[in-house]
Amino acid sequence: MSLRISLLVSVGRNPVSGTPRACRNDVAALEIARSLAGELTLLHAGEVGNPGLADYLAYGADRLEVVPASPDSDIVAALADQLGNTDLILCGSRAEDGEESGMLPYLVAQRLKRPIIGQALSLTIIGDHVEVTQFLPKGARRLVRVALPAVVAIHPRAPVRPRYAFARKRAGTIVALAPATGSQASPWHIEPVTRAPIKFKAHKKEAGHSRMQSAIASVSKGGEVLTEGSAAEKAQAILAYLRRHRLTDH
Amino acid sequence: MQDAPIPRRNPRRPAVLTAAGLKRITLGEQGEGSVFGAALPAEAAAKPIRLTTEPSSALLAVVHADRGALDGHARQVVAAAALLAEPSDAVVVLVFGALSDDLAPLGADRVIVSPDEAWRPDYEVACLRAAIDQVQPRHILFPDTEAGGGDLGRRLAAIEGDAAAHVAELDRSCATTRRRGGRLAARRALPKILLLDPDIVDPDLPFLGRAETASLALPVEGSGKLCDLGRQSVPAADLPLEEADFILSAGNGVADIPTFLSLADAFGAAVGASRVAVDDGKFPRAKQIGATGKTVSASVYMAIGISGAIQHLQGIKACRHVIAINSDASAPIAKRADLTIVADAQDVMRHLLREMTDPGRNDMEEGS
Repeated sequence: MSLRISLLVSVGRNPVSGTPRACRNDVAALEIARSLAGELTLLHAGEVGNPGLADYLAYGADRLEVVPASPDSDIVAALADQLGNTDLILCGSRAEDGEESGMLPYLVAQRLKRPIIGQALSLTIIGDHVEVTQFLPKGARRLVRVALPAVVAIHPRAPVRPRYAFARKRAGTIVALAPATGSQASPWHIEPVTRAPIKFKAHKKEAGHSRMQSAIASVSKGGEVLTEGSAAEKAQAILAYLRRHRLTDH
Repeated sequence: MQDAPIPRRNPRRPAVLTAAGLKRITLGEQGEGSVFGAALPAEAAAKPIRLTTEPSSALLAVVHADRGALDGHARQVVAAAALLAEPSDAVVVLVFGALSDDLAPLGADRVIVSPDEAWRPDYEVACLRAAIDQVQPRHILFPDTEAGGGDLGRRLAAIEGDAAAHVAELDRSCATTRRRGGRLAARRALPKILLLDPDIVDPDLPFLGRAETASLALPVEGSGKLCDLGRQSVPAADLPLEEADFILSAGNGVADIPTFLSLADAFGAAVGASRVAVDDGKFPRAKQIGATGKTVSASVYMAIGISGAIQHLQGIKACRHVIAINSDASAPIAKRADLTIVADAQDVMRHLLREMTDPGRNDMEEGS
């Protein structure tokens, strides 16, 4: 029996015009999902008629299933109901609209009691396991193996090149499923941004003297300066510094 | 008629020693004694300890240490916990990975270290839940990083609920995030779990923490479903400069480009350059670091033959350790660098290269 793969997609927004479009992260996940051998289903929870959804068809999906949901629906429960018998759940790491918290893959995984791997750059399926290369900062990568079924969230830097084709957009279909039932009250109060964020800092009660001090005196920040010695000793000093701070293996 | 009283002034009242002589600028300063030029360090040493009584509740900051130290983002999260704490709250820090930093200046009262390098998220969540059971924190703070804190925080948030991720603004009562590319702000009362974005907190605190070491009954290792097969690093040459961890950068003072490139190869470092070196055609434009080039955030930035114009220093603001090799000790890079070597770049590069490739031979030469 072939592998059942589900891809969770959201609707993104053009950052300049605000027009609905496919979410960049989810398109990367779609490109990876298309390269895997298996039966792929795309799933979205939200408004069925959203014009941004058709972009996923253009990027290569044949069929997109939509759970009709309003912004206050409990979409995690609705999605989890549809995902009960899938082997691999893929999604982008963060949405471009809505809460944009990057929490959804973790919530879905927790609800279905499945392991989750975030920040995936590429994945290969080996038997009933999946091997994931994870993105780490500073040029590091990590290889992780996990038994299926599992949830994998794709990192935006995944090395894929999605291609948009208008013909595919016309050929694909969008299907509505049974609407989401549960609802959730949101604790968030939303307003337009009117000012830059203020840094959280300590309120300092300073006497005039110390405020004057900090205004007139500058703390010299320069580090150690090595002038004396031969070039070999100076090279040793650099290596000693690197070793002292555990920055090199030499 | 009585004379007006003569104003009395303490001739030994606090003063600072400046280039122009002794200055008696003593706005608002009380007390006696003279402090000659030492006003700033003395004050810095005399920070009070925040927690004066036995704590009745706690805040928990969870961070990952890298090579024994906390990065800027992790330090901000610990400081944020100290700033959120009420007088009766202890600030408990749970550190994954070995730690050699002192966390007292960041306001940490109790430090729990779980010295473990492999990535086992199920075990980390178990440790975290054991710590939560022991400490009973009001809030749990994580750095919202791509690896480590961001992942662990979301795992916990999925279990516990009540969380805010990508917090872009924090104060004592509410957390704010940005939506739709920064056009909308979403605000809510402080949830239990907070994942903080970088640079939203100033880690400079006017008080100290107790920084006691605490221990935790670590849970037994379960059989996690995830198996870490190890880390790989991308060759530095293939890496974009912005992502590189070790950068060797050349400026006008580097004449011997082949030695420089083989040194970068020996260190496994990415290659950068200053504007002058790029303009001379020694390096491609993509290697330029600075205001018109790239902004980098490496752990080690080695500037060879770079004087450090302000435009160049802008590009290396986020670098952790800066090492400069320059023939001029008064160049501006010396103010930024943690270690400045005043020497001709060519000689030092040659010796460094010999040390890196063949350390034994160099020792013999020095001995003879």
